[in-house]
Amino acid sequence: MLKRFNESPRLDVFIAIIIAVVSATTAFAAWRASMVSSAAGDAIRQGLIDAVKKQAGSSEDWRRTYEEAGHAQTYAVALAQVEAFEKSSDKSAQAQGRNMRQYLLPSLQLVTELTTDDKYLKEDGTYDLELRFADLEAATPDLTALDPTASFKLSDQYSSEQRWLTVGVILLAISLFWLALSQLSMKRSRLVSLAIGIGIYFFGLIWFGLVELIFFSLRGGAL
Amino acid sequence: MNETPNPVTEESSERYKTLIVVLTLITTIITAVLATLQADANIRANSANRDSQYFAILASAELHRSGLQSSYDLNTFAKVLLERQTELMMQFTALEMDQSGDKFGNALSKISALAAKARADKLTSFSVFYTDPRYASKTTDGTPDGEAYLRDSSKLANEIVEKQNTAADDYHKWSSKADSYVGVLTVMAVAFFLFGLAQALTGRMRLVFAIFGMVILLISSAWTVLILVV
Repeated sequence: MLKRFNESPRLDVFIAIIIAVVSATTAFAAWRASMVSSAAGDAIRQGLIDAVKKQAGSSEDWRRTYEEAGHAQTYAVALAQVEAFEKSSDKSAQAQGRNMRQYLLPSLQLVTELTTDDKYLKEDGTYDLELRFADLEAATPDLTALDPTASFKLSDQYSSEQRWLTVGVILLAISLFWLALSQLSMKRSRLVSLAIGIGIYFFGLIWFGLVELIFFSLRGGAL
Repeated sequence: MNETPNPVTEESSERYKTLIVVLTLITTIITAVLATLQADANIRANSANRDSQYFAILASAELHRSGLQSSYDLNTFAKVLLERQTELMMQFTALEMDQSGDKFGNALSKISALAAKARADKLTSFSVFYTDPRYASKTTDGTPDGEAYLRDSSKLANEIVEKQNTAADDYHKWSSKADSYVGVLTVMAVAFFLFGLAQALTGRMRLVFAIFGMVILLISSAWTVLILVV
């Protein structure tokens, strides 16, 4: 009776339908794993672009800071010279100091905010370059707000999901292998192969669903 | 005399079939594990590749920043030296003018010396080689510690480059492993083919192909272990 059941055309059709369903599920799972892999790649690409943009902005701000530091230094040195001339007993030096204060210093002072804004002036007469850099950075909030590490964190999450989805795809592929084996076989082992195939299929399906659910909630509802 | 060949009995056609099914199952499991390892190695290679590129960007930016800073610091230091030399030179000149009785020249040289001194004093307060205890000379007429300055100014960039090198090495390691796993998977496909052939054949040939498949399976497994260990 078992032999008759094994060779029954109805079982053939049943196994064929199961194989079709499992094939479609495996194809869908492979597509999803590929999508997740692609999303990880996109996040990496975005992170690297953000890193280049952010560092380019930062480099430009440092360049401006040191350029202004040079101008501010020139002003401070000229001012020191003027003060020395003004204190001198030599009339020629005093006149030179007076004229420098009246005509030279205002021009030198206008070149950079370091010399016009008192908040940058330190107690020792030098300038707070870190504060100037921070202000320049704050002036470009779109670049400063870029966070490559956030994109990298997202890519890590997608990669991790891809890793576990791959396991799910492999489980589905294994189930497909066993179902194919049961379709080809006509002996006692046919039912055993079928049972193993269906068992692995459902295990793979649950695995896939759980992985999706966990990472979906980790990303706050984003696919 | 007519001899009829022995018909292939059902028993002989079923011989070793279970063995081949078990071997196929083992191959399937090993292949599944291998495919997972390959995917994992690929993901790790991608992450390491990303990190190495990110650190390269950071190192490049840091080198640019430290270059600007060094340029500013060394320029300031050079200006200090120039103004100190100018001050000294103008004082000598004033002395010479005084000795030669040139009062106007003496006064002019004194003003120049005064200006150079004022500039040098101010510039000194801007120079890390005089204000930073890490680089300032410990003695009055000594020279600043240039080596310590260079070491410190390139320290951060070197640290980032070190991380970049580690990430690049990781990338090569995992990429190489992922490629090797693809090689093993290809060999495993041969094992599948041999077991499939063994399943279709009967008698001694079935066993022969099963043995070939087992040899391939063993080689693949040994190769996988080697990739995992190295």
